[in-house]
Amino acid sequence: MRMLVEFRKDDIVRHLGLLDLQRTMQRALRRSGLPIKYSSGFNPHIVMSFASALSTGIPGDAELLDVSLSGEVTERECLEAMNRVLPPSLPVTRVRLVEDDFPKVMAALRQAEYRIRLSGEGTDAIVAAIPAFLAETEIMAMRKSKRGEALVNIRPMLHALTAEHSGSEEAVLQARVSFVETATLKPDLLLSSLAAYANAPLPHAEIRRTRLLGEKNGVLTPLIDL
Amino acid sequence: MLKNQIDALLDRVQKPARYMGGEMNAVIKDPSSVAIRYAFAFPDVYEVGMSHLGSRILYDIINKREDALCERVFMPWVDMADLMRQEHVPLFSLESRSPVGEFDMLGITLQYEMSYTNILEILDLSGIPLHSEDRTWDDPIVIAGGPCAFNPEPLYHFIDAFSIGDGEISTLETIDVVKQCKQEGVSREECLRRLAKLRGVYVPSLYKAAYHEDGTLASFEPTQEGVPRTVVKNMIADLDHAEYPESVIVPFMEIVHDRINIEVLRGCTRGCRFCQAGMIYRPVRERSVEHLLDLAKKLVDETGYEEITLSSLSTGDYSCLPQLAHALMERFEEKRVALSLPSLRLDSELKETLEETQKVRKTSLTYAMEAGTQRLRDVINKGITEEDLISSVSDAFAGGWSSIKLYFMFGLPTETTEDLDGIADLAGKVVRQYFSTPKNLRARGLRVNCSASCFVPKPFTPFQWEPQDTIAQFEEKQRHLCQIMHIKGVEFNWHEPHVSFLEAVFARGDRRTADVLEAAWRLGCRFDGWSDQFSFDKWMQAFEQCGVDPAFYANRRREKGELLPWAFIDAGVTESYLWREHERAMQAVVTPDCRKGCQGCGLKRFEGACEGR
Repeated sequence: MRMLVEFRKDDIVRHLGLLDLQRTMQRALRRSGLPIKYSSGFNPHIVMSFASALSTGIPGDAELLDVSLSGEVTERECLEAMNRVLPPSLPVTRVRLVEDDFPKVMAALRQAEYRIRLSGEGTDAIVAAIPAFLAETEIMAMRKSKRGEALVNIRPMLHALTAEHSGSEEAVLQARVSFVETATLKPDLLLSSLAAYANAPLPHAEIRRTRLLGEKNGVLTPLIDL
Repeated sequence: MLKNQIDALLDRVQKPARYMGGEMNAVIKDPSSVAIRYAFAFPDVYEVGMSHLGSRILYDIINKREDALCERVFMPWVDMADLMRQEHVPLFSLESRSPVGEFDMLGITLQYEMSYTNILEILDLSGIPLHSEDRTWDDPIVIAGGPCAFNPEPLYHFIDAFSIGDGEISTLETIDVVKQCKQEGVSREECLRRLAKLRGVYVPSLYKAAYHEDGTLASFEPTQEGVPRTVVKNMIADLDHAEYPESVIVPFMEIVHDRINIEVLRGCTRGCRFCQAGMIYRPVRERSVEHLLDLAKKLVDETGYEEITLSSLSTGDYSCLPQLAHALMERFEEKRVALSLPSLRLDSELKETLEETQKVRKTSLTYAMEAGTQRLRDVINKGITEEDLISSVSDAFAGGWSSIKLYFMFGLPTETTEDLDGIADLAGKVVRQYFSTPKNLRARGLRVNCSASCFVPKPFTPFQWEPQDTIAQFEEKQRHLCQIMHIKGVEFNWHEPHVSFLEAVFARGDRRTADVLEAAWRLGCRFDGWSDQFSFDKWMQAFEQCGVDPAFYANRRREKGELLPWAFIDAGVTESYLWREHERAMQAVVTPDCRKGCQGCGLKRFEGACEGR
């Protein structure tokens, strides 16, 4: 059996990197008393993976951890056990138990949703430029990957973008972007492209990942509900 | 407001997790529910300070009180410190992100001399006046403790009170006094006078030092009635009943010693003559196996750590080590908790314990040989022979270990070239032992890591009268070592003599070195223990500005009978014992472990010490 653990990464721990978060989750799982499965081999470790690594500095509302179990347990027991052993800044919001042959959540991830709070010079210009930006079919941007930099068209990777003004030079954007290995649009690249397109300076941005989405019968669905 | 300011800074620094707080098992208390808010500062970065066991013990002890809370403070790395100055953000505690200056008490732990400039930086970033006499009740009472408090004089101007010796009880006593004084509304001076009456507490502003023309100390006296002439160190006689944390904070980021740390015993009876810890932490006191097993279980449950370290000055001397190691392995194998035994003495009951630990994980083995020849090991009373080393590594290689660390010092009293050559000789013999181990038994990839550090004479050791080698002498010896240490399979490292020179100055410094410390900090010195931050030139400039000659402190031989700046402290071991040991050292005569017969070091004067021996 495996447990899918949906958790929040709060603002105060947003600077946790993937390795720190991994270690924290491993230690929490060890304390939890749940029947955790260990890999076999010389140096046994807990069999777990995150649906997606969240960049250092970005909080998340619904991140997903996939953990292999070695025994029977209920979703409720898992939820309670995890919240007993995790710090208040990393609460577990839901647990779903699935069979071992359930598809890997990491492979099921298609899109991610972000909320971006902009403030300062450039905000208004960016908000004003959004309709025209969305009307384009091609937006070229320099995308960094493991293999180096490449100029790519990011427009097809942007699926939805809305903006709501909350004051002068203050706005909240909602963006839904592609999140698969071959085409991932990071929110900072989206922002810098927007600013360049609007010919505006980059405003201060607080980025938050709100949802991780997969596809079920052609419909976008939160990963934990696949 | 401050919380938001701090939060904004975290986006702009390397390793923001150092300042984040919010870890599992951190203690958050309502400040309005307590009488005393205690900030506990470790004058180095988070990952170093969080690895320190003593701080964890005191954090736990203070937070167990209902009328007090303790929050952690670490030295911000230079990027953060500079940003804080620029943005006018005061130094803050991790738990509630409150300004340090608002706490009632600020405790600072003194682990090594090269953190002293960081203490000034901490005071300044907190907005606390640097000098004790400039502080008011609006500032915390600044208390310092730890091994370096056994010569507190270089910090006399900056610290209100020092707590000398074991801190478990003393810390609570100082809190009681400060709480009482605040409730009664007495003056800060009166509070310091009351603190000075506690056992083991030294209030420097209540003493006066006078000097001879040659620079040596002429007199050291209390300036008021009722202030003790001699400050007697604190000692917990019954370690098994002393408080020990049953839950510890689990950091998010990786720290230097990222594991459960269980103190099995305190003190050491071996009497190595260079070792300050071995003298000032006397007598030896053990925790019982039952207690340690209980602690281990609770700590594993509370933290989820995957490794336990048994720590002490000499874990190999723990009387029930095989029994403890066996029980721990048995109990935690299923939970995949590894057991590591640091500073394991090779002449102890090693073999059996090694066979236990290898069941779970093979770590590297460390041998502190300290000197290259038997003659010099006799001088320093390091009771280990070449045969001990070779037989132990022979067992280890046959048991599948292939990574060995060898520690040496150079610049020891009476050292000659022959002693340096002995270092290369020993390293070579370890390598040959590996290759003579049958191939089917030994693991591949031999690694012998050999490191040599510069000897620093310390107070309350038999070498407290000895001069340190000059930097030029160290450098010459270093060149020699580098030439002879080209041995296949051996990696050789040495320590920077410039840092050791300053360490020697402050280890045995008097009140005049406090001015140098302040001058160096004003010139920008901080994090002197970090090679990328250390600036020897600035330090030399500071000595010059103050008209103080560092060689007077580091390289001068003290005569028997010279009034030493730390002589007003009764550290347990008496000066006559230390001198006797000094004389035996010069004759290369060893002194046996005092468990095999009392050597009259002075500890028997303490109630409950050395019981059952």
